[in-house]
Amino acid sequence: MGPAAARLRGEVRALVAEHVPPGYLGAFTGDPADLEVAQRFCRLLAERGLLCPAWPAEYGGRDASPWEQTVVREEMWAHHEPRGAQYMGVNWVGPTIMRHGTAEQRRAHLPPIARGEAIWCQGFSEPDAGSDLASLRTAARRDGADWLISGQKVWTSYAAMAGWCFLLARTSERERRQQGLTIFLVPMDAPGVEVRPIGSLLGPHHLNEVFLDDVRVGGDAVLGEVDGGWKVVQEVLSFERVGIARYARCERLLQTAPRVLGDAWDGLPAELRTRWARGLVQCRRARLLAYRVIALQGGGRVRPGDAAAYRIAVTRLDQDSAEVLMDIVGLAPPEGPGTGEARRFRLAVEDHWRYSHASTVASGSIDVQRMLLARALLAAP
Amino acid sequence: MNIEPSGEAAEYGRQASRAFAAAGGDRLAPLAEAEPERRGALVEPVLRELGAWELRPRDDPDDLEAAAALCRSAGYRALAYPLAERLARPAGLGTDGLLVVDGPAPRAPVAGLDLRWTAVTLDGRRGEAVVRSGERSLDSAVVAELDVRPLDAAGAGDVALGLVLPCWTLLGMLDRALDLTRSHVLARHQFGEPLARRQGVRFQLADAEVERGGAEALAAYALWSVQSGRAEALDDALALRLAALEAAEAVFRTAHLLHGAMGFCDESPLSWVSRCSRPVRWLPLGLSATRDHLARRLGRHGLTGLFSEAAT
Ligand SMILES: Cc1cc2nc3c(=O)[nH]c(=O)nc-3n(C[C@H](O)[C@H](O)[C@H](O)COP(=O)(O)OP(=O)(O)OC[C@H]3O[C@@H](n4cnc5c(N)ncnc54)[C@H](O)[C@@H]3O)c2cc1C
Repeated sequence: MGPAAARLRGEVRALVAEHVPPGYLGAFTGDPADLEVAQRFCRLLAERGLLCPAWPAEYGGRDASPWEQTVVREEMWAHHEPRGAQYMGVNWVGPTIMRHGTAEQRRAHLPPIARGEAIWCQGFSEPDAGSDLASLRTAARRDGADWLISGQKVWTSYAAMAGWCFLLARTSERERRQQGLTIFLVPMDAPGVEVRPIGSLLGPHHLNEVFLDDVRVGGDAVLGEVDGGWKVVQEVLSFERVGIARYARCERLLQTAPRVLGDAWDGLPAELRTRWARGLVQCRRARLLAYRVIALQGGGRVRPGDAAAYRIAVTRLDQDSAEVLMDIVGLAPPEGPGTGEARRFRLAVEDHWRYSHASTVASGSIDVQRMLLARALLAAP
Repeated sequence: MNIEPSGEAAEYGRQASRAFAAAGGDRLAPLAEAEPERRGALVEPVLRELGAWELRPRDDPDDLEAAAALCRSAGYRALAYPLAERLARPAGLGTDGLLVVDGPAPRAPVAGLDLRWTAVTLDGRRGEAVVRSGERSLDSAVVAELDVRPLDAAGAGDVALGLVLPCWTLLGMLDRALDLTRSHVLARHQFGEPLARRQGVRFQLADAEVERGGAEALAAYALWSVQSGRAEALDDALALRLAALEAAEAVFRTAHLLHGAMGFCDESPLSWVSRCSRPVRWLPLGLSATRDHLARRLGRHGLTGLFSEAAT
C-alpha cells in the first residue's frame, strides 16, 4: 500500500486511541452518548482531511490515493465505525453526486459531507421490492416545476437521524421497469416524510420505515437524468459493495483473541485453534480480493464479477469468524474484577455475531451477488 | 505487495500454455500415467525451449514470477511433470529439484525420471532423496516412494518456495477445471435449455469461482512474501496451501458434478486434470495436516496482517 498509507494508518489509530472510548461498539446503541462520540469524531477527522481523503480538494478532500481511503475505511470498520452513519456519505453518496450532480448540487451537498455534518440515508428498498429493486412503486409525479413523491420505503438505515435521503422513485411506466426510475435528493424534514423505527436483532437505528405522502421537492432535487436513475443505482451499489471493510473487524477480533485469553488460549480445543487460524487466512483472502477490486477501479477498469466475488467472500468471512469467536469467548475463563478487556472483548464479539447475520442480506443479498458473478463468468469471451 | 502478476509473467505463461498444447496438450497426462519413464522425453525439450532451466527463481524476482506463471500453465495443461519441484531446486547441492516431504513414508510425483532430488522436511532437515523402484503409490504411476538419506538441517529457507510453486500448479488446474465446466454448462442441454440457464448451476459456478479467485490472491501474496525474503514466508506458504486445497475441494467437486458422467471419462480433459491434481493436493500435506501445521505455527501471534501486532 505504500509508506503514505502506513503513515496514515498510524495517524488514524492514534486518533482512535485518543478519542474513541475503549469498548466502543458504534454509534447505534441505546446510549445517545455513543452517537455524540461519532459526531465529534467525524468533525475531528474532517478537520484533518481524513473523512474523505480521496475526494478532490475542491470538495473538501485531499486528493489522496484510493489506498489511503482504504486505510481509513479499514481502521474505522475495525474500530466499530466511529464515523457513525457518515461512512455512507463518504463511500457512495458523495462519489455519486460528484459524478452525476449539477454544479449546484455538488456545491450544496459535498462540503457538508466532507465536514462530517450531513447524514444521509438510502431510500431504495420497499416492502415489495427487495432483491427485485426495479419493481419498486414509490412514485414521483410532476406538479408544475416541482415533483410530488408518495410511497413507502423500508429497511432504511439511520433514517431517523438523517438530514437527507438518496431516494429512488418511479417517474414513468416503461416497457422495461428499469427505465422509468429517477433519483431524488430529498430533505428528511420536508413535510410529508415520516420515519418509524423498526426494532430488530441488530439494535437501534439500523432499520426504519419511511413513509412519503405527497412530499414536494423542486426540480433541482433530481440527480442525473429523469428516468435515468437505474444507471446511477448500479454505480451506487458498486461503490457500496467495496465500501465496508468487514474483513478488518474480523481480523482485529481474531488477532486479539489469544491475548485476551492469555494462557487459557493453549487450553482451547485444537480444532478451535485450527478454525481460528483458518479464519485469519480467510481475512487475508478477503482483504486481497478487496484490494484487487480497488486496484482495478483505480485504473478505471471495472469487472463486475470481481466486486461480487469479494462481497461473497467477505460476508461469508463475517459469519464464519463470528461463529469461531463466539466459540472462543464461550470457552474463555470467567471474568474476574479488573478484567475489563475480557468483558469488552466478549461484548464486541457478541455485537459482531449479531450484525454478521445481516451481512449476507444488507446492500443486496449474497444470492444476488452469486447471480452477478455467474453472469460475469458465463458472459466472458 | 504485488497482487496482480506482471504483464510479462502472464505473457510468458500464455506462451508456455501454447507450447504445452502443441507438445501434446491433453494427451500428455494419460501418456505419463501409462509410461512414467517416457514423460521426461515428452516435455523436457519443450521446457528447455521455453528457457525453464535458465530461470533463477531464488535469485531474481522476475524469474520467480515467470516460474510461477510457468507452473500455472503446466497445471492448466495437466503436464504431469514435477516442474514446480524442479524450479524450486536448492542452491549449491547440484541436484535437479526440491521435494518437500512429511511423515515417515515420504512420496513425491517423481517416478520414472532420471533426476537427482533433494528432500526437505517442514522444519528444514534436508536429505538426498532416492526413488524406490517398483513401488506404486497414491494409485498413480507418477508418484514414487522415496528413501531419504539425511544431509543437513540447513533447509528452512527452502521450504516456503518448495510449497508455493506447487500451489501455482494447482491454481492452473483450478483455472482449467472451471474453464472446462463453464464451456460444458453452456453447451450441454437438458430440460430443453443449456445447463447454464439454471440458477442452481450458476450458483455452484459462482461459489467455485470465489474459491479459485481467493486462492489466486493468496498465491500472489505468498509469492511476493518469498520474493521479499520475509521471515513469515513459511506461514504465508501454508496459508496459501490451506486456501488452495480448500479451493481444490470445492472446484473439483463442482466441476465433476456439473460435468455429469462425461467428466469421469478418459476422453474428458477434466478427468485428467482431476487425476493430476492428486499428488499436489495430498503431498506432502493434505488439508487437515496443512491446517494443523499452520495453527501450530501461528501459536498465539497470528498471521501477519493489519492487526498482527495486537497479539503481542
Ligand atoms: C442491516 C440492513 C440494512 C439495510 N439498509 C438499507 C438501506 O439503508 N436502504 C435500503 O434501501 N435498503 C436497505 N436494506 C435492505 C436490503 O437492501 C435488502 O434487504 C436486500 O436487497 C434484500 O431484499 P429483501 O430483504 O427484500 O429480501 P428478498 O428480496 O425478499 O430476498 C430474500 C432472500 O431470497 C433469496 N432470493 C431473492 N431473490 C433471489 C433470486 N433472484 N435468486 C435466488 N435467490 C433469491 C435470497 O436468499 C434473499 O436473501 C438493508 C438491509 C439490512 C439487512
